[in-house]
Amino acid sequence: MRTNEEIDALERLIVQLKGLHDEISQLAKKSPNDALNKFKLKLVNSVIASANNILPEGYLPFADFSQFIEDDMPSNSDVTLVITQYIEQVERFRSDNVTYYEYSWVYIINGKPSKISAKEATLIGATKK
Amino acid sequence: MLVRPRLTDYHGIALAQSDANFAIPFLDEDIPLYVDPFLLWRSPSQQDQMFHTGLINAFNHLGYLAKHGKEKEAVANLIAASECDEVGLGVSARRKGKRIGVDKAEEVISLFRRVPHYESRGFRHFEEIQFYVEGISRDRVSDIACSFLKSVLIDYTIDQCTNSDLPTQIVDVENVYDYRNNAFSTAKGVKLPTNPETASPILLVPKRWLRFIPWINYDDYFEKHCPQDDISHTPEELTHVNVLSYNRDHYGVVEDYVTYKERTAEDCKNDPLFSQIPVTSAKRKLAAIRSIQTGKDNGADKQYEDAVGSLLPSLLYPRLDFAQAQARTESGVSIRDLIFYNTRSGPFLSEIFDDYGSRQITFELKNVARVEREHIDQINRYLSLELGRFGVLVTRNPLKSAEFKRTIDLWSGQRKAIITLTDADIAQMVEVFESKQREPLDVLVKKYAEFRRACP
Repeated sequence: MRTNEEIDALERLIVQLKGLHDEISQLAKKSPNDALNKFKLKLVNSVIASANNILPEGYLPFADFSQFIEDDMPSNSDVTLVITQYIEQVERFRSDNVTYYEYSWVYIINGKPSKISAKEATLIGATKK
Repeated sequence: MLVRPRLTDYHGIALAQSDANFAIPFLDEDIPLYVDPFLLWRSPSQQDQMFHTGLINAFNHLGYLAKHGKEKEAVANLIAASECDEVGLGVSARRKGKRIGVDKAEEVISLFRRVPHYESRGFRHFEEIQFYVEGISRDRVSDIACSFLKSVLIDYTIDQCTNSDLPTQIVDVENVYDYRNNAFSTAKGVKLPTNPETASPILLVPKRWLRFIPWINYDDYFEKHCPQDDISHTPEELTHVNVLSYNRDHYGVVEDYVTYKERTAEDCKNDPLFSQIPVTSAKRKLAAIRSIQTGKDNGADKQYEDAVGSLLPSLLYPRLDFAQAQARTESGVSIRDLIFYNTRSGPFLSEIFDDYGSRQITFELKNVARVEREHIDQINRYLSLELGRFGVLVTRNPLKSAEFKRTIDLWSGQRKAIITLTDADIAQMVEVFESKQREPLDVLVKKYAEFRRACP
């Protein structure tokens, strides 16, 4: 990562993805095949768009997916699946960009430990820590 | 050629029935609803109430005429009022009704002498004539109301035509009631929509005035309010005629009934032109569809067609107005279709209209385990003939790749789109019908999007 703003954007993204996942996974448990309405789909797409923006290539979960298409009527379970994948990949990206330095976890900026504290890395490569 | 053409669709006006203030008339048959004068009486709108007052005054004027030695004029006026073909309400298959005869008209007019209350005070609700005269029922009540209100309906129709861009022609309208002269005359040079085949004028009627059965009606009276024991102790003698005779001598009983109906006027609502089935019924229909075997054994095809036929119109309403189920035979095979009017509401339906010329959309039902090439060809031939180049095949399972490729080839070669709805798609339609998260029509949009992606 290069700037503080990128770290802000990443942290916002993590919170948004988690929020969406909490909401939509509940809907998916109730009625997995029901379609997500257009309003919610728009919100999901905007969060996915910022994830696509923030994640470098190699961290994007699907090569041929960028947005949900409204006409495809994605179901609750479809959306939950995709968001889960994004959460995993965002966390992998975050884990790769934090380090344990001077007794605490901090973000790495331009290859060096910064003073911005971070949560512990949980995913290194594809392995859960 | 349209199936069960409506005035708006004939003129290429895209208007869903749910969005229209009036009942959209059919060109070659009646709308099976009736004007209930009670709806005008109970309306919160002062305008409607005044129309009711005018209507009752016009009807009571017949009594005034009879009382003052002009019985023939009263009879002639009532006969003129007894049919109103321009509105096209009722059950006639040809938009043409028959007026009452002189005897029947005299019988109605005689009520102004026969029943002291009417002689002195006239009618408060003229639909009470159903309780005294044989052969007068909802259609006649509706026609009399429309005839006396014809001038109002002409103004309303002109107004609605202007709002909806419905084409009009200058025509003469017969038997328009002149409130000032209390007589019927011909209104000349009126701009109204006309029936393209007969050139006869068409009048539009507000939906809020329509019911299947008038609020004050004979059956309800007979069943719940008529003192049947007083009329006859033996059921065999409790005939319609006996009840009518009894009523003539016992106005109080009728008055009590009418007062009761006025008291419960809050419950009197207009009837919709189309009622969706509730969600529970939709789920039950879906379960029924899933349990039906494919093929024709034990009437399975008929059961499937009935279940889908009652489900789809509700699922697709109000985006698509249901026209009718149509059975046709091709190469000795009976085929059942559901035909919908394309209301062109929303981008998808507009696209279907623009790209495929579909003023109506055909859903062909096929209860087969596997759709064969001949089934695709059947719907293909049908699309080329009549209903635009977009069709939907409702069947049990997804198309096999050969048949799917055939539909793609039809698009490539002739720009015809045949979309398939399977049990799974119907299930998803029912699911969103319940959850209201998306519209069931969106499933069709999805299938079309998938189809177009597969096209070259």
